[in-house]
This record gives sequence, structure tokens and C-alpha cells, in this order.
Amino acid sequence: MTERELTIVFDGKRVSCCAGDTVAAALTAAGELSLRETHDGGDRGLYCGMGTCQECLVTVDGRPGQLACMTTVGDGMTVERNPHRAPLSVGATPKPARDRVTAEPEVLVVGGGPGGLIAASVAAESGAEVVVLDERASVGGQFFKQPRSMSRKPLRLDRQFEDGRRLIERVTRSGATLVSNAQVVGAFANRELLARDGNAVRVYRPQRLIIATGAYERSPPFPGWTLPGVMTIGAAQTLLRGHGVCPGQRILIAGNGPLNAQVALELSKAGADVVSVLELAPVHRPRAVKPVMRMLATEPGLTTAGIKGLAQLRLAGVTLRSGCGIAAVEATASGLRATFGHASSEGIQAQESTAVDAVCLGYGFLPNNELLRMLGCRHRYDAERKQLIVERRDDCQTSLDGVFAIGDCCGLGGAVTAMHEGTIAATSVARSLGLDISNVADREVQRAKRRLARHSAFQAALWSLYAAPRFDTELATADTPICRCENVTLQQLDDALAEGFLSLAEIKRQTRLGMGSCQGRNCATIALSRLAGKTALTPDEYAFFAARAPLKPVRIGELVGPAAD
Amino acid sequence: MAVGTDRVNTDFDTVVVGGGIIGLCASWFLAEEGVAVLCIDDGRDAGSVANAGSLHVQMQSRMDRLFPQRVADYEKTLSIYPRAVDYWLEIGQRLEQDIEISIGGGLMIAEDQDQVKRLAEKCRRERKHGVETELIEKTELLRMAPYLTRDVCGAVYCANEGKVNPLLANSAIRRAVIEYGGTILTGSRVNDIDQSRDGFVVASDAGRFRTRRVMIAAGVGTGSLVAGLGIRLPTTAEPLHMNITNFAVPFMKHLLQHAESALTMKQLNNGQLVIGGGWPAQPARESGAPGILLDSLIGNISLAQHVVPGISDLHIIRSWAGINTMLDLVSVLGEVEAIPGLYIAVPGDAGYTLGPYCARLVIDQMLGRAPDYPLSPFSVMRFA
Repeated sequence: MTERELTIVFDGKRVSCCAGDTVAAALTAAGELSLRETHDGGDRGLYCGMGTCQECLVTVDGRPGQLACMTTVGDGMTVERNPHRAPLSVGATPKPARDRVTAEPEVLVVGGGPGGLIAASVAAESGAEVVVLDERASVGGQFFKQPRSMSRKPLRLDRQFEDGRRLIERVTRSGATLVSNAQVVGAFANRELLARDGNAVRVYRPQRLIIATGAYERSPPFPGWTLPGVMTIGAAQTLLRGHGVCPGQRILIAGNGPLNAQVALELSKAGADVVSVLELAPVHRPRAVKPVMRMLATEPGLTTAGIKGLAQLRLAGVTLRSGCGIAAVEATASGLRATFGHASSEGIQAQESTAVDAVCLGYGFLPNNELLRMLGCRHRYDAERKQLIVERRDDCQTSLDGVFAIGDCCGLGGAVTAMHEGTIAATSVARSLGLDISNVADREVQRAKRRLARHSAFQAALWSLYAAPRFDTELATADTPICRCENVTLQQLDDALAEGFLSLAEIKRQTRLGMGSCQGRNCATIALSRLAGKTALTPDEYAFFAARAPLKPVRIGELVGPAAD
Repeated sequence: MAVGTDRVNTDFDTVVVGGGIIGLCASWFLAEEGVAVLCIDDGRDAGSVANAGSLHVQMQSRMDRLFPQRVADYEKTLSIYPRAVDYWLEIGQRLEQDIEISIGGGLMIAEDQDQVKRLAEKCRRERKHGVETELIEKTELLRMAPYLTRDVCGAVYCANEGKVNPLLANSAIRRAVIEYGGTILTGSRVNDIDQSRDGFVVASDAGRFRTRRVMIAAGVGTGSLVAGLGIRLPTTAEPLHMNITNFAVPFMKHLLQHAESALTMKQLNNGQLVIGGGWPAQPARESGAPGILLDSLIGNISLAQHVVPGISDLHIIRSWAGINTMLDLVSVLGEVEAIPGLYIAVPGDAGYTLGPYCARLVIDQMLGRAPDYPLSPFSVMRFA
């Protein structure tokens, strides 16, 4: 949070930015949206904003394939659009592989969001030796991300920031070791986890493992969803809350759920012109009364804050159009043109269009469960939400003894749920390690269990209010890419289905869908839904792509070579 | 297709068990000649679908280590490898889809004088058995392959090694089977094969099929299938580790191997680098897919970066494991003498390279033609 102004060079142009900016924030602020080229010469830009989709790759100081959304700027840094084909590195002769460092903490927490941080605090306060691995530059996760480059624009510190700051203080005081910029490469036999951070490649052999890897956003593919300037609502929120940057001046927000309205209000307060919030669910009908009463009864604070937020949004002149959705986006000379209209279960009517700088999509989340699956934790398929849910006991322990899973990676429930589950899991972990948990945790765990039950009732009521058609491929046309990485279109997917390929694995080998850098995170559920719709297939645990190391692309030199120069 | 267990389907003249590279090619060749063929595959323990598409000709370095007592017999059949690569080129011409075959030559590199000495000896033996390889010294090697580490001391070059894109090849051959009227049944396991009066009854998850001839090309599953017919064939599963990178500029046209360590590297037409070479993987778990071992991931990639230093800025985007079927290095091909009408086709080392040619040889024998290569060294009876 220094006031220092830095300069980076992007494709030969000087771009001024702030210390603490990510490359993505700096370039977005400068209006540079196109970050990499695809094999057919197309443009891609920031999409997920959290290191999942691999769309925002840039070349940094000559090194290709770096994530703009996860790379922090340095003064004089040279950034270039990422070529489709990476050049070989020259000059350095790598030394023989480094010795691997092993670490054997009592408790390893993967993920430094709300759930992981609470779990780490409770376990460490009980006297356990705790290490937290987090892939971002600073902990907090998506919910409690803290301002990192505040010099650009003063951002009002709200309650969410403040709660996050307090939690981070608590975990720091607890004695848990926080490792930022840590990428878990994979889980292997005997529960060994391989992770790399800025300093080393380490093998972790924890006695207990708490997985709190959160979620990532999903969007149904529609024409134009891969254009630079079209991004997830989470990416937009990270730009704003982390860096004081708006994704553009005129912004259209589309999707489903209360997060969209919240971010709309935040963007509007920051000076952006939010054209509309298109909400798939018909929320403003009389049918809202019953769920809202139920929400008020269970979580009065959250409910009144939400209602107040919607009122403020109206006062700010932002229209929330319920029962509406986005149908298409196209690139124009000056930006983007978005087409939208009334939503029904069949799709979205293209009724109106408007010129915008950015489109933010918030269609909900998918559990980030690849690490759990790689470990071999048993999952079941939830047919309604079309996702895998990890099986857990009352104390959040998975089918593997000593492996716990909490929060959104278990099937979504939001930050509050994650925090209650963190307390419950960490207490069980501490007890199983023979530690004294009588002081804080016992009281806390009783409270957590009560509050978790109440919060679940709140969530159920909330989502009955926001109930909307679930779109997978309904909004796509024949030439819409379903797999963003490999540019596999709906037509190609349908051709493979028509040819008789009846599993995701076969479709992958046939079309390359899911074979790219994001490992199918964007397309697997969408393609599986198409597949299940056209056949009698009932998806199960093994219907998805096998989870394989590396969890996310890992630079060879970083995995096995000499330390970064 | 599915038939009740009480009724026996008699639609097929020949049943091919296994839908990997051999089974698909055999079904294609039979269908092409008007034979009513059914290819049945259970989709498990697959080798071909996980294959990385190296076209091997020269002896791989692990042979001496794995089967010292079998190397002499293996060497006698070395000349099948260049023919198998030629046959890939031939079928590549005949398929409608481009399967990205490229014969850029293969290099097996040495990093010390001891390895060079052993490569020289290997070269001598290969040439004696009809495989053209030559020893290349350091300066020439670095001219041919400037991407290699300066620590290299020499290499064996084999001009007819190369690669094929197995994703495209498997899919194109499958289409050819269907186009010529063959039938492919996937996701069904063959549980039992019984001899009957004038042929066989093949019992599968999808019902029973009475047929005149059976060809078993079921990779590692072959052993247990023929055991029921009183034939001994010890096929064992060897799960192997593979890695693939993001797209890189074209720089490596060779199929690269190491004289002593487990390493193969090649660059696909799309720019991705495939790194493997025989590092072990974990046997299949509940999911049916073999798992990845930490030491294999790190060991394989370390070795690759050591040999080709310029790849250090590429990213590994995925690793996977496939099942290699282990015999005793030498293929088992042809009709089983004691059981007329029963054919076995399990390739020896480098099964994907050998696949189409082995299928051709066995189909020729089946259809009463003299195979292009003598089948006598490949009898299953050596295991009796």
C-alpha cells in the first residue's frame, strides 16, 4: 500500500501503475484488454481473475505463459502479449535438479480464504503446528481479499474488508505459518503434496490435511463470451477491491445471484457507469415475500444489508432487470456491444443492445475439488447442481482418515459456511492430535454448529428467491467455443456425440475439449450436461476428467530447475 | 446390438476382441475385404488411447536392463520395426483424415564415453539385423540438434523414426472401420471365449456372439482371455508416466531418446512437447485410471530439462499414465496352432509403432495370404 508509482512497458508502450498492482490490474486501468493470441489469431484477455482459466497469459520480462492476474508488477517490467507458441529460453544452462525439501507439519491447510484461515487459527491456537498454503500474493481468498494497490483511488474500507483484516490478524497471531504465492502441483501416494513457492519446491507430509480450496466461477457459453472485456464478476471485484480499478467505464452485469448486485453497487460507488444488472431470476415478484421473511428470521443482519444494498443500487440509478439475461456480445471499433433480453428456460431473447466497455458474468460457482479428487476422497454427483460433492462426516472429515474438506470446495455455501466449517474441522483435527481444545474452541464449535444450521436455512431461502433456469449449452450457437482453451465449438461437441462418443474422456480425445491449460475447469460440466441430455448417461464420480498433476500449469524451470534468477 | 443372454447373435463372421490400435486396424482391414466383423472393447486398461505416438525403430535402451536373456531373440526380429513405420506411412495415405505422421529421424544421445561405446556396439548389432542406424559425433550432433545440452557426447541416429498423432490416428481408423461396414461395440467386456462345433462363442456384457474366427488383440487382457482356452500367455501391465507441455515454437523434429536413462521427447505438429520414456505410474485405482507418481513426474521432467535446457520456460500442463503391455519383448502374432480359427495379436516392444503392421500380418494369414513378414518367431507356443 505504498504511494509509489511504477512504470511497466506493455508491447512497447509505457504504462504507469501502482505498487501492488497485478499486471492485469495495471493493464485494465490502461485500457489494454487483449493479452494473448489464440492459435487462430483470436484475442483473449482477463476472464476469471483468479488463476484458474489461463486466459490472461502474458510474457513477462521475456518469460512466456505468466498469468497477468496473479503476477505483481515491478518497476521497469516488460510485458508483452503472449504468443500462441512459446519460444525456448536461451542462455541459462540449468543446474541439476534441486534437492526437494520436505516439510512435515502437523496440520497443512490448503487455501487461505475465510474457511482456511479460521481453521488454521483454531488449530494453531490449540497448539498445533500449522502451515497454510495460499496461491495468491496475500491471503484472504476471494471473499476477504484486501486492498493491495490503494494509491490509485481511495476505496472506502467496508465491513467485509474489516472482517477480513481482523481474521488475517488473528491467524498471524495464532502462530500458523502463512506461505503465499504457493502453488500445489499435486497430491500423490501416501498423501504427499508437492507445492512450489517463490523459494522452493517442497514435499509436504502433513499429519492432518485441511482442504479449503474454494470455488471458481462458471458461465454458460454464449456468442462473444471469449472476447477481451468479458469477464467474471469475481475478476471485476478483484480489480476493484484489490486494486481500485474498474473493468471499464460502461459496464453491463449479467447472471444470477446476489453477488452481482453487490459488485454493481461497489463499481457504481467507484465511479463506473453500471448500465444494468441482468438477473435471470424473477426476483421482484410477490413470491419474494416468503423467502425474505425466512431470511430475516435466520440471518437478519445479512438480509437487511442485502435489502439496503438493493435500495442503494436503485438510488445510484442502476436498474436491476429481473428475468433478463445476456444473449451475445460482439466486438466493435470502440469496445463491445451486448445484446440482451427476456430469459426463459429455453434461452434468452435478443431484444435490446447497448454499447459497453466491459461485461461481467456472475452465474455462480463450481467447487474447486481437483485436489480432493486427486487425493482420492470419495465424491457423489449432485444432479441438480451438476457438480461433484465430496462425501464428509459431521466433522468435515472426508472418506480418507485425516483429510478434511471445508467451505466452497465441498459444494458451495459461501464464506459464512466456510468459516463455521473451518472451526468444526480444526477442532476435530486438534482433538485427534491429542491437543487441548478446552479454552476457546469448544465454545466456538458449539456456536459454529448452531450458526451453520441457521445459515444453511438462510442459504436455502436465498436461493429459492434467486431460483432461475440453469443454462449450460442453451445460450451457445453452433460456432460458440465451449472449450475456451482449445476453441472447441458446440458444433464439434455435437458432431462427436453424433459419432457415438459417449464419455467425456472419449470426447476429449476426439475433439480436444478439456485438453487445454485450464484442464477442463470451464467446459467439463457444460459438456457433460450436453452429453447427459443427449444420452441416457447418469454422470458419476468418474464421469469427469481425471484430476491429474499438475493441478495448474507449472513452469518446468520452477518445478525442477534452478531457483528463479 | 444388445441381445438377450438366451439368444446367440450370429451376425458376425469374425470377432475382434480389443479396440486399440491393432484391433481397430484389423477390423478395418477385414471390413474392407467384406468380412462381417465385430470389434468389441471394454474401455479399460487401455494402451492405445493413452499412447503418445512415438514411432520407434532402434532398440530402446531399457531392453538390456529389463530382459537380458531375451535380447538375442528380440534383435532377430528388429527388421519388423522399419517395415512397421513404412506401413504407418502407407495407411496414413489411405486414411481420409491427416494423422500427422512425420518421420523426422530419431536420436539416442550419449552423455559420456562409456555410453558412446555402448551405442557403437548397439549400432553394430542393429545394422547386422537390418536396421540402418549410424553413430554421430558431438559436433555433427549439435549441428543437427542445436537444442541439445552441450554436455552431449554423441548419438545414434535412425532416419526412419518419427511420430504420429495417436488422437487423430485412432479416430480416423475407427471411422474407416465404420465406413467399410464394420461394427464397433465399446464399453462391453468380453468375459469368456468358448470353442464350439464350427467356431467360437464369445460371451460379453452385451450378449453372446457365435463366430467362425476370433482375433484377440486385447493388450494386457489377452493373457486371461486365452487362459480359458488352455493357452499360456503371460501379459503383464506396465503403467507408464507421460507429460505434455503448452504450445512451443517448432524446434524439435526428432524423436529423442537417451542411451541410458528413461527419456523420450518429441514435439507434436501443434507445438506441444510430449515427454515420457518409461517412468513408472501407479497401477489403476478404483476409477480405472492409473495414478501419477511424484518421483516419476519430477524425475522425468528433470531429465528432459537437463537434456534440452531451452524448455525451462515451457509449462507442464498435464501428466497422465497409460498401460503398456509387457511380454518378453517379442510380439505374439498369428493363428494358434492347436486351436484353428483363434488368432492372437499382441505386439512386443513399442506396440503402437507395430500395431497396424501386426494387424496386417495376422489378417493376411487369416485370409489365406502369405504374410509380408514371417510369423514363425511370434508363436504363442514359446510360453507353453
